[in-house]
Amino acid sequence: MKRLWMGCSLLAAVACSSIAFGATDADVDRSFFPYRTSVPAFPGVKPGLVIGKDNVEPFRNAVDPALYQHLKDGWLEIPVGPTTSLDLHPNYVDATRKNLNKVKLGAQPGEITGFVAGRPFPEEPDLSDPRAGEKLAWNFKYLINYGDNGAITPFYWTFRDLNSGKIERRLNFSFHFLNYKHRVIEPPLPEVTPNPSQLFRGIYAKVLEPLDVKNTQLLIQRFSDDLKRDDAYLYLGCQRRVRRLATGQVTDAFLGSDLMVEDFEGYNGRISDMVWTYKGTANMLAPFFNHNEQKLSDEFKEPDGYKFIAFGGKGGCFPIVSWQLRKMYVLEAKPVEAGHPISKRVYYVDSQTFTMSRTLIYDRKGELWKSFTVGKSLPDHHLPENKGSGAPVDDFFSMVDVQSRHCTTGQFKAHMGGKLTPVSLFSVQNMRGGD
Amino acid sequence: MLLLGSLAVLGPFPAVATAAEPAGANPWVVDVFYENDIHSRRDVGLAKFRNTLQMEAARKLGATGPFSDLGFNVKLRGTFDAVHRIKDHRFGNQAGGSVSLENGVPGQDYSALFGAPPGTLLGTGPVPHGEAPIALFNSGDVLLNNPNEGMVVLGSQLHETDGGVAFGVPVRPCDTDSRGCLKDYMDASRQELESPEFNHRLDVLREAYFAGTLPLSDGKSLFLKIGKQQVVWGRTDLFRVLDVINPIDYSRNNIYDEMQDIRIPMWIAQFEYRMGASESFQDRNFQVVWNFDKFRPHTLVQCGSPNVILDAGCFFRGMKNLWDNGGTVANFAGAGAINGTPGLATTFGPNQIGIREVNLPGWSLDNTQLGLKFEGVTKDALSFSVNFLTYRSQLPSLRGGITSVHPFTGATGTFPYLIAFDLDFPRVNLLGGSLDIQADSIGSVIRMEAAITKGEEFPSTMQPRLFKQSKVVRYVIGLDRPTFIPLLNKDRTFLISGQIFGQHLLDHEQADGPLGRVGMPDWKDNWIGTLLVKGWYQNDRLSPQLLMAYDVRARAGAVAPSLEWLVSDNLKLTFGANIKAGTGARKFDDDRTANPFPGFTGPPGQATMSAGLGGYEPLGRFRSGPIGMAINEDFVQFALRYKF
Repeated sequence: MKRLWMGCSLLAAVACSSIAFGATDADVDRSFFPYRTSVPAFPGVKPGLVIGKDNVEPFRNAVDPALYQHLKDGWLEIPVGPTTSLDLHPNYVDATRKNLNKVKLGAQPGEITGFVAGRPFPEEPDLSDPRAGEKLAWNFKYLINYGDNGAITPFYWTFRDLNSGKIERRLNFSFHFLNYKHRVIEPPLPEVTPNPSQLFRGIYAKVLEPLDVKNTQLLIQRFSDDLKRDDAYLYLGCQRRVRRLATGQVTDAFLGSDLMVEDFEGYNGRISDMVWTYKGTANMLAPFFNHNEQKLSDEFKEPDGYKFIAFGGKGGCFPIVSWQLRKMYVLEAKPVEAGHPISKRVYYVDSQTFTMSRTLIYDRKGELWKSFTVGKSLPDHHLPENKGSGAPVDDFFSMVDVQSRHCTTGQFKAHMGGKLTPVSLFSVQNMRGGD
Repeated sequence: MLLLGSLAVLGPFPAVATAAEPAGANPWVVDVFYENDIHSRRDVGLAKFRNTLQMEAARKLGATGPFSDLGFNVKLRGTFDAVHRIKDHRFGNQAGGSVSLENGVPGQDYSALFGAPPGTLLGTGPVPHGEAPIALFNSGDVLLNNPNEGMVVLGSQLHETDGGVAFGVPVRPCDTDSRGCLKDYMDASRQELESPEFNHRLDVLREAYFAGTLPLSDGKSLFLKIGKQQVVWGRTDLFRVLDVINPIDYSRNNIYDEMQDIRIPMWIAQFEYRMGASESFQDRNFQVVWNFDKFRPHTLVQCGSPNVILDAGCFFRGMKNLWDNGGTVANFAGAGAINGTPGLATTFGPNQIGIREVNLPGWSLDNTQLGLKFEGVTKDALSFSVNFLTYRSQLPSLRGGITSVHPFTGATGTFPYLIAFDLDFPRVNLLGGSLDIQADSIGSVIRMEAAITKGEEFPSTMQPRLFKQSKVVRYVIGLDRPTFIPLLNKDRTFLISGQIFGQHLLDHEQADGPLGRVGMPDWKDNWIGTLLVKGWYQNDRLSPQLLMAYDVRARAGAVAPSLEWLVSDNLKLTFGANIKAGTGARKFDDDRTANPFPGFTGPPGQATMSAGLGGYEPLGRFRSGPIGMAINEDFVQFALRYKF
């Protein structure tokens, strides 16, 4: 398969050489503003093009293998929009500059020293660097996906039959995210104190409906020390009891969806649980867009008039949004544990934001199991409250189980900022005190 | 009135909206569902045809006054179990019939024991209630107030009398037959059995509470939750080591329903001082629980109902009937005197043996219940709690030593070792704790609870008042492990959850009597193990489950397979079965061979305790436990739940 690898091309030679001598401000600029001087190109791909089963072949290398197959099978069409720069919050960029070259990998995966805030490794990855994949994973871990904190509510998860399109089940969640440490935008800066466990991040989710799982709550506490396993708790509304989650439950289907807890946000686990391998860089299509310019769904009514991303295509499993050419890193993650239910994930990581737009998940036999897409809106073209937040806005997900021909789709109403994410929300006691 | 007042504060009700609407809009979120639960029991047929309508409504008020957030929740539940009408002859107004009671060893001559001419008092086959060969003081008119109708023989659904004691127990609803009904405890009319929520405690208002947070300095807060509610302590399922604040309604489905459906909500004020993190704890919380409601015991339900846990309601009703009206007791007089064999059926007069009254604590400040809990998560992620609760036992204690009528002389007095009781609910103090830890090496979570109580009372035939207080240690160790079983499902783990519950009576007493063991029928040490295997298919819309429980000392087990099918978000069907196996009824000293009336029931002189002749009733139930006592209550189940 021929791909437009950039790898350590002439264009990136300066970046590659800088690895040996330390990253520079130029690396930071290239990392955060890759489209300042030019936008990615792929032969024949231009705004207005619609890629479908009848014309996909020339663009085979502009998409990942699973998406290519979906297109070829006529499961969806991809309208192409212009490449747009998603400029991250200036404080995050400044933190990256301020702490440049202070971060070092430890002796074993999962160990890092010197990290304060920002992007730990802004330099261009190098195929000859055996730990390049790990560095990309660290960049992903410390991205600002919801700024320092944010929430999604409502958040509709719909279970669909890929063949018939039948909607089998719909869950409505409220999700909340809080960075305890390495905060750069909103007080408290630089971290929430006291924090005796040295938590890095908290994720809290609550089911709002349907009734049979209503008030089920999930709390994940991730430690700064990546070698410490996450603490995860589940409150079952039907039992009114908080139960600590066993390790295996984070790699199990979450409430019957096609996602496991480990899939959240692309990867929701420890860096040390995977062997990370950087596979190259390519200009590829990714679902980045302006929310307000998309064809939106009338399925749900919001008091403020907000409309969600619409779904269509095969089984209603695919988003109806525009895609754009972006510079993407290809990153492979193989579980360290032999008993893990998957053999590997292949991520297509947006180089500007370090969000994982596309993920291909392979079963233990090495066959494609799931095809995962997370769409991002530019924050200035979403809810007014998100304008200027300087963080990509999660807008939809689509997890397609190609083996069981089933999917779970997610439609977001994301709110950046700390208004809906008080620290007290991220405690076991909060779960108990509910309904 | 309190509820109406609350609703008035909250404003108009009908602005129903979906849960999706954001904070700030303050809509009511209302869910209403209907459930039909049908049980068919082996050898009985229909044993439940329960229709439930439940409404759950919540309204978030947001920042209100000093509260950073305030909300109100209300749950209304009404049920109608048609089994009391459909199975009128089993569970309704036509239930029961006439009974006969064993009368010694057939052919055995008891005459000499009673100074009668030889051959005049022979053991025979069963004799009708009220027609026993031995009639004690004031028992001549026993059939006037206690006719031989509408009764069953105590324990007959489980065992033969087999030489033990037994008596007739009225089984019809208390508005049809008031015999043996215990005022405000087990005195339900048919309407109250059919629709238990529509009672004088207004259980139709299942829950109604305000919950709010008062922000304090340094990120700390005070969380208040006040109203009718359930307060759940502990980390384990099924067993109640720490989860003892709310009493339980065992009438719904013995021990097998979800706890949240069978806890009896109480009017409680919860105060939580949420301290958050400190230098050594990631989370700290101090909770005060004040249960200011009028005391309520567990609902064990009266005899004649489909689910009478431990058959206790039948024992109590039969004993109350004996006290009020007198009645015939099988194999009683002269028991043990002839080579340890059963005695003759004996008819007692009123106020001689039985249960005199139930002393339900009334409302007073002293009778309210108080709990304290400190809960935290250490910086090393150990989640733990330390709990203290002072409460009233939700199970009754049978306290002997009450004033009664001497069945041979008619005098009144108190008589040691006499089977004449009041039901009391003693004050109990509990100190306990819980923790859970992740055991990475085995991919599991381990949960633990332990508690010691002081003040619980247990039957003991060695005590003059036939009960003894004992400290009790209870503990549960549970292990949850999600496990792939590729043969059954390659994509989704099965939850395998095992628990061991242990109970140790620190002040247990037993001894060998001439005719058998005497003392406390409860086991000094006992364990019950449970194993749950639950799987999920079709994106969790189909969930088979196998729940097993085994009572080690009772040697009785239950297997409950079930299948839940979520047809849609609004419709759930459940198919299930509950099969028991092992030893059912067990025997223990029944106090027949005590000598409470020296010179009449034994040698003159001092009253003496039982010699140990035993039978299934009444104390064997404490050894059989809830599984063994329901050994014949196998059933299949179908339930439908529809959310509107």
